[in-house]
Amino acid sequence: MDYIITTEQLTKKYKNFISVNKVSMHIQKGSIYGFLGPNGAGKSTTMKMLLGLTSPTGGSFTVDGGRFPDDRISILKKVGSFIESPSFYANLTGRENLDIIRRILGLPENAVDDALELVGLTEFGNRLAKKYSLGMKQRLGLAGALLGRPPILILDEPTNGLDPSGIHEIRNLIKSLPSLYDCTVLISSHMLSEIELMADDIGILNHGRLLFEGSLDELRQNAVQAGFAADNKISSANLEDMFLSMIDKDNAARKQRAQL
Amino acid sequence: MNTLIIELRKEKRTGVIPLLLLVGVLGAAYAFVNFIVRKDTLLNLPLAPMDVLLTQLYGMIMVLNMFGIVVAACMVYNMEFKGTAIKKMYMLPISVPKMYLCKFFILTVLLLTAIVLQNLALLKIGISDLPKGTFEMDTLLKFTAYSFITSMPTLSFMVLVSSRFENMWIPLGIGVAGFLSGMALANSNVSLLLVHPFVVMLKPAVAMSAQPDNEIAIISMAETFLFLGMGLWMAKHLRYE
Repeated sequence: MDYIITTEQLTKKYKNFISVNKVSMHIQKGSIYGFLGPNGAGKSTTMKMLLGLTSPTGGSFTVDGGRFPDDRISILKKVGSFIESPSFYANLTGRENLDIIRRILGLPENAVDDALELVGLTEFGNRLAKKYSLGMKQRLGLAGALLGRPPILILDEPTNGLDPSGIHEIRNLIKSLPSLYDCTVLISSHMLSEIELMADDIGILNHGRLLFEGSLDELRQNAVQAGFAADNKISSANLEDMFLSMIDKDNAARKQRAQL
Repeated sequence: MNTLIIELRKEKRTGVIPLLLLVGVLGAAYAFVNFIVRKDTLLNLPLAPMDVLLTQLYGMIMVLNMFGIVVAACMVYNMEFKGTAIKKMYMLPISVPKMYLCKFFILTVLLLTAIVLQNLALLKIGISDLPKGTFEMDTLLKFTAYSFITSMPTLSFMVLVSSRFENMWIPLGIGVAGFLSGMALANSNVSLLLVHPFVVMLKPAVAMSAQPDNEIAIISMAETFLFLGMGLWMAKHLRYE
């Protein structure tokens, strides 16, 4: 398999709390990898480690063969990212914000218009970013990640704050990216129904532990074997049940371990 | 060079550049007005005319510069923390220490511009209002360099502090506390107090001679490089979280 991102026993411990617990992920080149888990599962922390925003306390990872901190610049040249909430200069317009990123990446001037168009923000490009609505800020953050069409995209809950039509639009955009310009996407969400519509592979995280990693078909087979599907037909609701049951089982096991 | 251009573009609408230019203009205006109003009183002081020109006006100019430095340093990093823009910078292929260095450089050039504007006013006053034959150009140039060098530890310290706190009120509070404690300690002769960057900046203002003190100048340069080195190290080694 041709993996572009791999993690080995990746761990992040805070004082009395393990946010990411020995996670070993394998993301195939050219795929959309859905990173699924409830709030506080450690998805954002894992993504932050992949971007060098926070350092791991254990384990290791590689992004296109590079490691932090030695290969920081070469890794970040290949990665477009959007973590937690959109980041922008409040004193600059949307276009000026993207122009700063364009200059850092050394891209031609038309890259800004291309990114604005991709996220449907062209007509608001000259408005100050601080005056954007939440959805527009979200789109600006996405435009910043997509600028220059990077080969790897790390997107943390990118549809937060968007209206239903915006969610649909961005979802379709993300889905089309690997075929559009051969990129790899790591996208997180706490909703299986959303990930199911986009991802080729899935990783399910709960309390920092990776409970499942595999293709969507493998998850469906697991659901059948676990008896979540009547007549071997898998619907979104069945998969959601399977996901919730996995989380509940893990939570119960954790409680049991804590009581011992 | 690219990082410097990017940093200058980021400054748009922040008010940092106009603020320090305004400090320079206000300092120059203060010198003119003060000398017009108090010319006779000042020139009757038991000091050499050049000492009067440079030390008696510098107090207020220095306070203006100090507040300009504190506020500008806070603003230059507040724009990074507001909207969490700095998080994006950490996720882009840009050297964070270089970014820090460019901010330091921009503030240094702006402070130098302000000091030059203020000293141009002193030059004009010196040529036209001091008793004939008493104006010394080299003394003015030396004092200009001295006041710039002694201001740099405060600038270097404030950039360091501002880069470490997301809440702008914390570095602003530290700046005000630095000013007040500096004012209280500036007249002391205890050498140890020179580790306080605000005390160093205040030293030329409490001196009665326009002749630079070499010991203070050397300490100023050492502190400037120390705080700058600390800031660059932190920018390189401390992650966003």
